[in-house]
Amino acid sequence: MKQLVALALAGAVAGSAAAAQELYTPNLSYRTGPFAATGIPLMNGQADYMAMLNARDGGIGGVPVNFEECETGYSTEKGVECYERTKGAALVTQPWSTGITLQVLPQTNVDQIPILAPGYGFSPMSDGKTFQWAFNPPASYWDGMSMILQEISGGDLSSLSGKKIAHLHLDHPYGKEPLPLLEAMGEAHGFEVLPIPVGISEMQNQSAQWLQIRRERPDFVIMWGWGAMNAGAITEAVKTRYPMDQFVGVWWSGHSDDLQLVGEDGAGYRAISWSLPNADAPVMTAIKEHVGDKSLADAEEMGEVFYGRGVIISAILAEGIRVAQEMHGTGEISAAQLRDGLANLNFTAERIEELGLGGMMAPFATSCADHTGHSGGWMIEWNGSEFVQASDLLSADRGAIEPLEAEKAAEYASANAPWPVNEACEG
Amino acid sequence: MDGVALMLYRTSGQFKTTYRSDQALFPIRQDAILLGVILILAWAVLPFTASEFAFQTLLIPVLIYALAATGLNILTGYAGQLSLGTGAFMGVGAYACYKLITIFPELNLLVAVLLSGLFSATVGVLFGLPSLRIKGFYLAIATLAAQFFLVWLFEKWPWLYNYNASGAIQVPNVEIFGVHFAGPLATSQAQYYFVLTVVTILTVVCINLTRGSLGRSWKSVRDMDIAAELIGINLLKAKLMAFAVSSYIVGVAGALFVFLWRGAAEPNLFDIELSFRVLFIAIIGGLGSILGNYLGAILIVALPVILNTVPELLGLDIKSATVEHINVMIVGALIVFFLIVEPHGLARLWALLREKLILWPFPH
Repeated sequence: MKQLVALALAGAVAGSAAAAQELYTPNLSYRTGPFAATGIPLMNGQADYMAMLNARDGGIGGVPVNFEECETGYSTEKGVECYERTKGAALVTQPWSTGITLQVLPQTNVDQIPILAPGYGFSPMSDGKTFQWAFNPPASYWDGMSMILQEISGGDLSSLSGKKIAHLHLDHPYGKEPLPLLEAMGEAHGFEVLPIPVGISEMQNQSAQWLQIRRERPDFVIMWGWGAMNAGAITEAVKTRYPMDQFVGVWWSGHSDDLQLVGEDGAGYRAISWSLPNADAPVMTAIKEHVGDKSLADAEEMGEVFYGRGVIISAILAEGIRVAQEMHGTGEISAAQLRDGLANLNFTAERIEELGLGGMMAPFATSCADHTGHSGGWMIEWNGSEFVQASDLLSADRGAIEPLEAEKAAEYASANAPWPVNEACEG
Repeated sequence: MDGVALMLYRTSGQFKTTYRSDQALFPIRQDAILLGVILILAWAVLPFTASEFAFQTLLIPVLIYALAATGLNILTGYAGQLSLGTGAFMGVGAYACYKLITIFPELNLLVAVLLSGLFSATVGVLFGLPSLRIKGFYLAIATLAAQFFLVWLFEKWPWLYNYNASGAIQVPNVEIFGVHFAGPLATSQAQYYFVLTVVTILTVVCINLTRGSLGRSWKSVRDMDIAAELIGINLLKAKLMAFAVSSYIVGVAGALFVFLWRGAAEPNLFDIELSFRVLFIAIIGGLGSILGNYLGAILIVALPVILNTVPELLGLDIKSATVEHINVMIVGALIVFFLIVEPHGLARLWALLREKLILWPFPH
């Protein structure tokens, strides 16, 4: 036992010694386990962007980035182990799973390390007054649900009145996340909501769920799926001949590899996305030039939706670091300083072009009170061989979401009392 | 030097003059000394030397898993009733503790943890009823039903998680006399002492139970239940007691698991993988032994964490995913190795070693 602890102690010391003269931004990756197929392209995109910055600019503000990965296999237990291992020197936590996010969220006020959960996690994290250390730019799940409803209703939610909408979701905190909003919307606009959970053990065989869909004949099926569940749902939809143009997924359900399985039969399937793949963007050229063969991704993967999204996620973090460096006049920022950076992101159209991300993301800005930015997103549609843009920029109906966000954030704060709330934030 | 160290296990000069001393918990003085050293280490040395990382990934989880395995070992190792529902019974303890703490915020956490075991004991007895008619693998299937049913219940009964939108339970801040023991404000040291207290008490209780008349009736049921019945052991009472005691300890371990370590839990945390993990700890540690649970927990829970830090210590640049793959292979190989060398588990390996040390340097 003594030796074990000695080893662990030595490990902790070695971990903190690595902090000198670098920006340590560990990533809790999952390249193994049941969700690896969707994790790998995202992790590759993230790692390649940071490697490109290191090779091209010598890091950010002249300080190299140490983008170390800690493997979780999407397991909450391993995630917490990784969090404990990296938190000594880390500037940021990138938990990469709603489960791990929920686990480390209460710790943030104590450990004072910002959580960066781009496009996932707990939607009310958007409320920066309550969740002072958590960020989920550029759009939350509730934003995504609101955008999907606008698109399928043709811009007027009252046209959904009397219709039936099925919410096919992973039976996990992640899948349940948008339900409160969907149910509130259903009540307000008179459509029926039919939640259909898919257990983790049933991901690959969803015949029971699709039997229910065939029986109930919903007008639309909205999917909150991840990993093997996406491919399972799409093949079942093809098998039961559910009309693809009435089947819409969240951004994590728009993975090219899942649709490749059904090819032409999947044409018409749509997903909401806050990122667009653009193989010709300058940032992609830069990655090919400076990272090249050292990248774990191949050329085909680089053109896909998830790889591009990984690049944007790292770009958001890098921009947060840059803003923090400017605000505090130092290259080697601390975790608390990075929080200021992430709360003052301003991705204008010009800045997006400057970063070489043109055509890949929409403008957004965060503030002390708004930790999401609500960039909006596009519908992407599978045309039989790849995802293409299928709508103009949609934006969430914030007026309908905000009261619910405030309510859930207050609920969270009271359940976790004493929980500090920063009332000093403006708007 | 080595020889002298090994001679320390010499028993000559320790005379037993009464039956009582011959039946004592530690018939050999060195055993008591060894245990004393371990206890001092656990109570007085480690809490002040361990890092935050060591507390959260090694010390606390090893203790909690060892306790859960102890609970299972009572049922499987001592009473011979195979169970695959450990994960779900841990869940019952965790959810019971959550409800107790949120309904009665004034309740002392220690009391809540110990009470939550009663709920899992009740559920355990209920699912233990089939054991009166069926045995072995068939009973395992019956407990498997408990596993699936209970996890399903954790998902479908929103009252259990206070109607939380994400279906997860979050541990609130709980303090006893001004010290935070659960929730984000708790320090690792406080959590460790809390867990250590509960685990120490329950381990002592278990050792005594298994050595007493109840334990002997369990062992006779395990070895041959018909013979046990013939010599006047009430099978109903013995089997259901085994289920009750085992589920109680497992439930307490579950409450500790969520409140003193994880801080949050979703239903699928208590899935069958958790049951298997605890079962593996009990089997590799040694069925029918208390010490084995600790050895097994160290091998299954702590070793992978330590192996993960090795490449960094040696300064090797290996990708984290690769380390994870290698890790799984090494731990798997070790399990196979230990089971080939000693199918009765690590505890038996230690027992053999101890026997050899007592005789040393003579072969017989």
